[in-house]
Amino acid sequence: MSTIRDNWRIALLIVAVAVSLFLLFSPTMGTASAASNGPTNLKYGLQLSGGTSIRAPLVGWTAEGIQYDGSNTTAVEDAVSDRLPGVPTRNVEMVSPATRGESSWALEVRDNVTKSAVQSAVSGAGLSPDTVRPGVTKPTRQETVTILQDKIDETGIQGGQVRSVFSVGTQRHLITVEVPSANRTEVLNLLNDRGRVQVLAYHGADRNGTTVYTNRTTLTNDDFQRVSVPQQSAQGPYVSVVVKEQVAPRFREDMIQTGIASQGGSGCGFPREGSCLLIVNDGEIVGQFGMEPSLANSMRSGAWGSSNQRTFILPTGNFSAAQRLSVNLRAGELPTGLAIRQGTVEYVSPTLGASARLNALVAAIVAVLAVSVVVGLRYGDFRIAVPMVLTGLAEVVLMLGFASGVGLALGLSHIAGFIAVIGTGVDDLIIIADEIMQEGDVATDRVFRSRFRKALWVIGGAAATTIVAMSPLAVMSLQDLQGFAIVTIVGVLLGVLVTRPAYGDILRNLVMD
Amino acid sequence: MVEFTVPEVDYTRYSNRQLAGVPLGVLAVAVLILAGWYATTGAPVAMGIDFTGGTQLRVAVDAPSGQADALIRNTFDERIESIQFVPASGEYIVTFGPNVDADAIQSQTRSAEQLDYRGLSEVAPGFGADVQRTALIGVVIAFLGMSLLVFALFRTFVPSIAVVASAFSDLIIPLALMDLLGIQLSIGTVAALLMLIGYSVDSDILLNTHVLRRPGDFYESTDRAMKTGVTMTVTSLAAMAAMALTATLFGVELLASIGTILVFGLVTDLMNTYMLNVSLLRWYKYEGVAR
Repeated sequence: MSTIRDNWRIALLIVAVAVSLFLLFSPTMGTASAASNGPTNLKYGLQLSGGTSIRAPLVGWTAEGIQYDGSNTTAVEDAVSDRLPGVPTRNVEMVSPATRGESSWALEVRDNVTKSAVQSAVSGAGLSPDTVRPGVTKPTRQETVTILQDKIDETGIQGGQVRSVFSVGTQRHLITVEVPSANRTEVLNLLNDRGRVQVLAYHGADRNGTTVYTNRTTLTNDDFQRVSVPQQSAQGPYVSVVVKEQVAPRFREDMIQTGIASQGGSGCGFPREGSCLLIVNDGEIVGQFGMEPSLANSMRSGAWGSSNQRTFILPTGNFSAAQRLSVNLRAGELPTGLAIRQGTVEYVSPTLGASARLNALVAAIVAVLAVSVVVGLRYGDFRIAVPMVLTGLAEVVLMLGFASGVGLALGLSHIAGFIAVIGTGVDDLIIIADEIMQEGDVATDRVFRSRFRKALWVIGGAAATTIVAMSPLAVMSLQDLQGFAIVTIVGVLLGVLVTRPAYGDILRNLVMD
Repeated sequence: MVEFTVPEVDYTRYSNRQLAGVPLGVLAVAVLILAGWYATTGAPVAMGIDFTGGTQLRVAVDAPSGQADALIRNTFDERIESIQFVPASGEYIVTFGPNVDADAIQSQTRSAEQLDYRGLSEVAPGFGADVQRTALIGVVIAFLGMSLLVFALFRTFVPSIAVVASAFSDLIIPLALMDLLGIQLSIGTVAALLMLIGYSVDSDILLNTHVLRRPGDFYESTDRAMKTGVTMTVTSLAAMAAMALTATLFGVELLASIGTILVFGLVTDLMNTYMLNVSLLRWYKYEGVAR
């Protein structure tokens, strides 16, 4: 009389295991770009595959709750910047209520200064904010996250991830950057680069009869329509760019005025004489060059700057500078930097990652074996012990299926979560077994049901407390513990709703025939 | 074949005072240790680099094991706090104090021929302090949430407070053991403490349910609950001990610290559940209800 209706819990478990195995092994489910290894669709995080992860706040302070009419934000920004030595105006910004979706203005100082310096500069400029807090406004934070992500992607690294998380304990936003298969130096260099690019015209100007050489900024990050990947030619590395249509006439004018686009071109004599163009990346000169006669003539005739001819070549001293330049021009300038010195950096070499993967697996298997041995010794009856261990393993399969289904990048904390779930799972199965197999045979279905219900009450209570204990961590973003808590909660839910009740039905079938 | 059976305890031979005295005495000693530690070091437990800030380097050393230690110490200018050997992989985990230059450590590692650079993690001191605060808030909320839920489940004061008290002691005693054995608090040990809240409540809920909601006299109910509960705890204990041992051998620090703390906690839980909790329940059943 074992119909599906009587054994629906077992049927549900079989279906769930089948779905999980499909998620785990089916080649149709794997995403091509994911860093998945081996025969399964599981993805591994940095700790288990190697890479660099960084968690740090953003540089800057935000003065909030400023009452202001918005009449001249530039003047306010200048006034604040003047009161903060070493902070350029571009690092000070008034953020309108509309941008932030709030009722008052905010002022950002995106630089390394002290809180008291910001407070006195802001009040010195005639503003009275409610608070000055570390960090930047939400729009700036989002822009920074997008640009950081673009920078990593443009570098050609697969699977890099940038996110903003809110730390409840400190009421601060932190940026997490995870870059697989990149070492610490590569990632730090990439992130430390604010990405400000300027093309300066270095030229002589007549001052009271003598020639003085000065710089004029002609192009910055936003003036380019298209930027190539770094190229290598016989003359050296370069990045090919297309200048925006509306910028081109002004740039052409600059070139002619400064004498760089002179008859017959120009040679670069920096830092002494001769006009030339300088490429400056975060204050560092990465390229210097004159202009070829053909381009100079094209500029003078007005052919360059027309709708289909605005190409320009930025040569650099070495290839890595060209790469950095290209990434910065494509991803854009970061509004603010990461305060890495106030955060945490973790680097795991590929060797360590691969061995951690194996070692964590071994530790988990040993834990399962230990459970099997104790359960076997305790019950002696294989009808009870074997299904118990198998049901426990089914729970692991469900969780692995869940992990590959949602594309969770597994770390050590997730493995710890799996082990925690196996532990509570076997505890619950022991409760079910002891309750059902207690003295006095399970003569009727009614007795079975009543005992099973009692067991489920205890299990439900225990599961609820585990979930309550873990839930603060699931939302608090305390490093690795978030993954641990989420896995434990999901595992306990899967266990209480699917696998553990099924074990009750399995036992009934084994003892009642 | 070795058989594992749960021993039957004749609780009638002991008074409530005798039963509760042992776990309460141990708890008192644990609290004293934590207080003493707090008085001398400024924190109840020694904090690891997750919380204090610092740099931890992982290297494989190409040298006879006797000389590896000296080799590592000679390589770095920065002050080394500890060197830990990972038997299975032959790697060494080198911990530096806060405020060392991680870039310098990296370049010194790279230029040392006999060292193979395997990993580096650095935590800024201020960041560690933030993590510490967050972790504390997390544990406190988890504990309060668990307590509320237990009171909601049983709706009577003494049985509920018995569960909460035994869970509290399950957290405090392992913390004191950490001080005695020189284990530092890390993210992994915090995870273990939270798992302990879940695990320790399991056997307590089981005991309470059997005694309060099942027919049969106190000693029969306790006996039945103990058979199941001890099996549960011993199974978890075996799993965690095995995991702690393997993970220590293979140098998977997170799993090793979780396993170790859970072994402490589960042993403590056996004592608390079947001495403290049982005595409180017996008092409640025979004397408390009558009042």
